Amino acid sequence: MAEAIPQLLVNGIALGAAYALIALGFVLVINAVGAVNFAQGDLVMASGFAAVILAETLSAGFGDAVPALGLLVLPLTMLVMAGLGLLFSALAYAPLRGRPPVSIFISTIAVGLILHHAANAGFGPEPRIGPALLQADTLRFGSVVLSVQQIAVIGAAGLLIAGTGALLSRTQLGRRLRAVAQDPEIAEAMGINGARCVALTFMLAVALAGAAGALLSNQFFVAPGDGGLFMLKAYIAVTLGGWGRLDGAALAALLIGVFEVMMAAYVSYVAAEALLYGGLLLVLFFRPSGLLGETIQRRT
Amino acid sequence: MIGGRSTWVMTALLIAPVLVALALGGYEQRIMTLAGIYAIAVLGYQLIFGRLGALSLAQGCFLGIGAYVTGLAGVHLDWSFPASFLASLVVPAVIAGIVAIPVLRLESHYFALATLGISQIALLVGVNWTEVTGGANGLYGVPEIRIAGASLYSPEALLLMVWSALAVAVLAHGYLIKGRRAHRLTLLREAPEAAAASGIDIGASRLTLFVASAAFGGAAGALQAHSIGVVSPAVLEFQVMVTILAMTVIGGRGHPAAAILGAILLVHLPEWFRFLESHYLIAYGAALLLAIVLMPNGFVGRLEEWLGGADAGSPPAPDPDDTIGRKPARTGATLGLRDLRKSYGGVVAVDGVSLSVEPGEIVGLIGPNGSGKSTLINLVSGLQRPETGAVHLGNLDLSGRPPHERARAGLARTFQAPATVPGLAPLRTVLAACPATLDEPTAVTLARRCLERAGITDMAAGPSEGPSRARALDLARALASEPVILLLDEPAAGLTPNERDDLARCLKSLAKDGIGLLVVDHSMDFLLPLADRVVCLASGAVVAEGAPEEIARDPAAIAAYFGGPSP
Repeated sequence: MAEAIPQLLVNGIALGAAYALIALGFVLVINAVGAVNFAQGDLVMASGFAAVILAETLSAGFGDAVPALGLLVLPLTMLVMAGLGLLFSALAYAPLRGRPPVSIFISTIAVGLILHHAANAGFGPEPRIGPALLQADTLRFGSVVLSVQQIAVIGAAGLLIAGTGALLSRTQLGRRLRAVAQDPEIAEAMGINGARCVALTFMLAVALAGAAGALLSNQFFVAPGDGGLFMLKAYIAVTLGGWGRLDGAALAALLIGVFEVMMAAYVSYVAAEALLYGGLLLVLFFRPSGLLGETIQRRT
Repeated sequence: MIGGRSTWVMTALLIAPVLVALALGGYEQRIMTLAGIYAIAVLGYQLIFGRLGALSLAQGCFLGIGAYVTGLAGVHLDWSFPASFLASLVVPAVIAGIVAIPVLRLESHYFALATLGISQIALLVGVNWTEVTGGANGLYGVPEIRIAGASLYSPEALLLMVWSALAVAVLAHGYLIKGRRAHRLTLLREAPEAAAASGIDIGASRLTLFVASAAFGGAAGALQAHSIGVVSPAVLEFQVMVTILAMTVIGGRGHPAAAILGAILLVHLPEWFRFLESHYLIAYGAALLLAIVLMPNGFVGRLEEWLGGADAGSPPAPDPDDTIGRKPARTGATLGLRDLRKSYGGVVAVDGVSLSVEPGEIVGLIGPNGSGKSTLINLVSGLQRPETGAVHLGNLDLSGRPPHERARAGLARTFQAPATVPGLAPLRTVLAACPATLDEPTAVTLARRCLERAGITDMAAGPSEGPSRARALDLARALASEPVILLLDEPAAGLTPNERDDLARCLKSLAKDGIGLLVVDHSMDFLLPLADRVVCLASGAVVAEGAPEEIARDPAAIAAYFGGPSP
């Protein structure tokens, strides 16, 4: 059993890293518009299918001439999903600007429902497999065997998380996005186009969901009904990590991934799920404003 | 429950669909039975989502639990219908009551997640506890409903049974939001702090509605289990919740007619979008999105004006007894604050304040911005908890008591930024704050008197507009709880000189009636002529106290207030 621990840990970190991408997108939208994006999980599912189709199209067009198909599919999926993010914000957010957050909550539930059942209608309920990032097999260190795909997922997700962090903290665009998230009125008064920043945030958030969907589609496959659980994990990560905190959400998502893989390996997947939800309720019972408190002050 | 025209509409809405279904027969009967079942669940959901404004994602789960209870009682335990039906109401209600304690105090985004978490746990149990629930296969052979030896196996009988239960549910729903309760719930939803300061027990109201909504969901689940004869984990899946949510958003959040119309509309949707086949939930999603964008108040929201409003028709006639509200119902208690202290992190906002307000006395509380005036009012009214210190009203120790208990004991307050409640007429806002123990006519008379005293005459008019009107309404709301002591947080801010004079006259007359007033204000020229005694606060501590003319000359007060050198 002990030899399995490194592989399980890598699996868990890979899963958690993908969850972290989903959670980052989730928090970005929370900070930008003050509302929960309930469709985030279904967007991950949709991008899994986008990755499947892109991989099929590319290999049908170029055959085996494409050496690292998965590495090409990842940015393409993100690009497609960024476009979908723009459409998503135009449909589910723009018409509801200025309405209570619960309206956006409901509109994103509606879009999630449409995505879920449109995927069901288009692709059928059977799971599909997405492209691997690298065509290698396994790495062997003595008795420890690690999957290259998993390590590649961790690397890609790590780069994307770091890139998102750098974009937000180091670039002028990132500063604008954060300014709008912090106080839209003041940001607008300083000449920042708030609506455009929110649209850009949605594009970034959905592109991150897209990356997660593409990365998860190989090992975990993709099926139309997957969205709900992805959304729940992100939602829980944000609650545990501190509402509105990017670093907290990413860290909590990582831990949830590791916990889930370890628990599933040694006890059962059902136990992992039950303990996660039970744990969430306990946290909310003892800490009604989340584990680390809230960074967003209620504006009155 | 609902006045006039609305009663006729509701009667028609409960009978017409049944007649149509009986006339068309077959498929339409099954669909209309399903509509009736969902309408019951939606009526419950309106209580929690519409009335309380809380986005619960557990209503589908309560329906599912109700269905499982009926399934288990019928298949394994061989219970009779009345017993299993009652259990299907009670079990979800008890579960709601248990989870309510941690869940109901959560902020909206955590409330939604927590209720979703509960639903997920219920689904896990339903799928995995195979010995009891039958696992993924579910429970087969749920017996038909038997009442007094007669078995309701025909589709017609089932339809009539379900819609009779719906009629009962409409009556129960009406009872829960009867009269002033509806106004209180609106105030609670839109301005929870004002509601608590008016003596409304927010926790108890939320608990009642959450438990009731679960019982409605359980009833719907029980009827569904009987009608299809099978209970499978599908009843616990999120799409049941989404269906209820869509019906509520599309139909409307408040009026029972909305629940029935929303349910009828959405159960027919798959029929109208046949080309989508089993993917009709795409149409649900699209309809939900369109509804939330185009009709924020739902289908019936637009008709509610015509129906006489979701919150009952016209208020009952006032009590002709002219003495009501002329004189305060109770007076004679002194407000005593002892050593109140409150800090935020390292900043001490209120630093050991002790003061008293006698019956009929006007005490002015002055001090620069950030001197702790508003925090002090919050500590006294119970909206914030002090670290140390005590609040007494007469012989009553109110320390540690929640705001609504303080309000009921006679401690009322107004707010610096009064919350306006759109859609609630001034008279209804004030009615919401009248003591629950008063009968309707007495309350109406009292509310009118309070509005008059605060200077509002067109009391049935629409929502309040402008700062002076919002302040006057807030004062009337505070008076409606029949206070002994009234705390006013910057009542003159934003008022014109004439309005200030009116306000000063009003406050003096209240004091003359024996009410003790603690008035916070910035403006010396408003407060000094008004107050019997002035307390000056600086950096959270009392730096001067005395008659107005003394305070005007007091070096400490001048230093604190005008930023001069400290004495």
